[in-house]
Amino acid sequence: MLRRSLAAAVTCGMIALTAACGSASSSTASGPVTLNYMIWDAGQKPAYQKSINQFEATHPDIKVNIEVVAWAQYWSKLQTSAAGGDMPDLFWDHLSYLPQLAKRGIVSDLSAKIAADKVDTSVYDPKLLSQWTSGSTVYGLPKDWDSIATVYRSDALKAAAVTAAQLGASNWNTTDGGSFVALLQKLTVDTKGKHPNEAGFDASHVKQYGIALEAPNGQQDWWDFGVQNGCKLQEKAYGTWTVNSPACVAAIKFEQDLMYKWHVAAPGTVTNTPNAAQLPQILAQGTAAITFDGDWDLTSFYAGLPKGGWGATTLPSGPVGSGTVYNGLTDAIYAHTKHPAQAWELEKWLASSTSEKIVADAGTVWPGIPSLTGGFADAWKQKGVDVSAFETETKGTTMGYPLTTTGSAFNTVVLKDLNQVWLNQMAPQAAADDVTRTANAAAGSGN
Amino acid sequence: MRESIEAYLLIAPSLFGFVAFLLLPIIGVFVLSLFSWDLIGDPHFVGLANYRTLAGDHGAWNALDNTLYYVLLNIPAQTVLALLLAIALNRKLRGGKVFRVLFVLPWMAMPVALGIVWTWVFDPRNGVVNHLLALVGVAGPNWLTDKGWAMPVIASVNVWQYTGYTMLFLLAGLQAIPQTIYEAAEVDGVTGVQRFFRITLPLLRPSMLFVLVTNVIGSFQVFDTVYVMTQGGPGDSTTTMNFYIYQQAFQLFHAGYASALSIVLFVLILLVTACQFLYFRKRTVYDFS
Repeated sequence: MLRRSLAAAVTCGMIALTAACGSASSSTASGPVTLNYMIWDAGQKPAYQKSINQFEATHPDIKVNIEVVAWAQYWSKLQTSAAGGDMPDLFWDHLSYLPQLAKRGIVSDLSAKIAADKVDTSVYDPKLLSQWTSGSTVYGLPKDWDSIATVYRSDALKAAAVTAAQLGASNWNTTDGGSFVALLQKLTVDTKGKHPNEAGFDASHVKQYGIALEAPNGQQDWWDFGVQNGCKLQEKAYGTWTVNSPACVAAIKFEQDLMYKWHVAAPGTVTNTPNAAQLPQILAQGTAAITFDGDWDLTSFYAGLPKGGWGATTLPSGPVGSGTVYNGLTDAIYAHTKHPAQAWELEKWLASSTSEKIVADAGTVWPGIPSLTGGFADAWKQKGVDVSAFETETKGTTMGYPLTTTGSAFNTVVLKDLNQVWLNQMAPQAAADDVTRTANAAAGSGN
Repeated sequence: MRESIEAYLLIAPSLFGFVAFLLLPIIGVFVLSLFSWDLIGDPHFVGLANYRTLAGDHGAWNALDNTLYYVLLNIPAQTVLALLLAIALNRKLRGGKVFRVLFVLPWMAMPVALGIVWTWVFDPRNGVVNHLLALVGVAGPNWLTDKGWAMPVIASVNVWQYTGYTMLFLLAGLQAIPQTIYEAAEVDGVTGVQRFFRITLPLLRPSMLFVLVTNVIGSFQVFDTVYVMTQGGPGDSTTTMNFYIYQQAFQLFHAGYASALSIVLFVLILLVTACQFLYFRKRTVYDFS
């Protein structure tokens, strides 16, 4: 094993040498400039490649190389790239990490360029744009938005005589579970065909769970229950974390109850990140009848489930009302890019209505420009899926991503503690207390 | 004089590799352990503050505990199994060479790929292990999400992976023991069990030293299996030192603190290795003539 690590060290060294050679030669070469564009979703690459092909045709002096790095490695990769001075010129940015990156001077302020080129920012959804604006500083132009909705398997609903409309109109509460739990009980069956509210139901041999919930941080599960229960993750933007407030703890407890009290949700052994299957796979395998997921996964559901065999509807309402997590991405320009002018050209293009239309019309993501949303909905209508639920959700109560410079500390501790809650190894209150304490302590330590 | 120049020239390539890719990085990590650095901003000097943090960090002590537990699960099982295999394959048996290749195959495979395959094997719902247990009426546990089982499962995967590799060295050691010694022993009326404990085991010590030193070092540094199979969970029950260092450096971006942890792990491994050498030094014979 020692020899193996020696070999690894030598190989790394050799890669470093060749990489250094590579960048040295490219900077001296004349001709077209190559921009590196880093994204985390391979499913979205085809649409962006199509858009970039058009961009390259009209900008013969710029070549764009799309690099896909999976979400699980994306932020580590970005941070180490920044340390090594080998950053992509343009990269997808997420609100969960923007404040940290902005604080460290990694992300360019676009406000001067927007003013100089008279870019009309009024075309964007103001709710999205404002999240990426701090005072007069603009960190990115909204390229898309996403919300969370219910995705269901039609055959499972039909077999249990449950309709999508019933699911969308259902309510939950923490005392008897409400109509939402009642529907999930119908959708949950053990290997002998019994439902959880019937005598003789065997919770350790469930054939199909009513629902499967999974999210590394909570966006597709307890944050949504949270917003439906009046939970606020932080007291205000950039303020202290308040995950252990009663409304948030009750939301976490409700999700744990779905698993271990009502037995209608797949437990953490089936769903926990990082080892479990993805939500579209869990549905495709028939492990669960419904799930909550973001529209970015629609393409995966389409690939994994039979055509016409699934659909989307709104989330249930909670004690305080309806609600979803509403979020969007931008492209960030690396603050120290060697090609700021070209990177800005690409940013402008990707946030233009022409490019956002290409991506939306391909049914890849909802566009950041509201006037183009019809294109996305139509693309899915043609595939036989009504995706309007995602849009309906955004008209009601929404929760944005928390804005904080302690995003990585929060994400790390949330994954660790909430995974234990979903395994029934930790009480919701204890997990919420630990998350709150750890994330707030990280703010104190400056990281 | 000329001879020594030639000698230096001959070792130059490996010396360069050692200095550039091992010595300098180690010094670099030590220097970094005296700084606070988030990988992007400017590092600032904090003296021994990172080491003081470490003393009161429950997470670090837990990671150390887990690492020791892993080493204790891994090393004895792996060494005994490898020795038994080596003795079996040292007999002239039909197809011996095929078995030798078979046993070494796991070592040649990618640890990450193996981790994924074993995760499927131990999957509580669809995995083959629980399926087989169910056939004999046993309800298998949730292997990788059970705090008691997760670490033994990880250790068993590594035992499975490295036993063949360890066996190769022990087999080479066995074959180096001159047959004449056994013949002389037979004349003196030494029985089978005595043969093993009085001749085979003592004369196997050079191989044993190598195998134990390298495997113990490797076990202290376990990372890839943990990364793929549990990400240190459930909770932090499989968070080993190396995984904790990774989390601190690349998830929380505490590069200085992660460096201090690396130095502590380095010193710990150094001490354990020194103890192994001291133990074996007086007890090892290299010259069989």
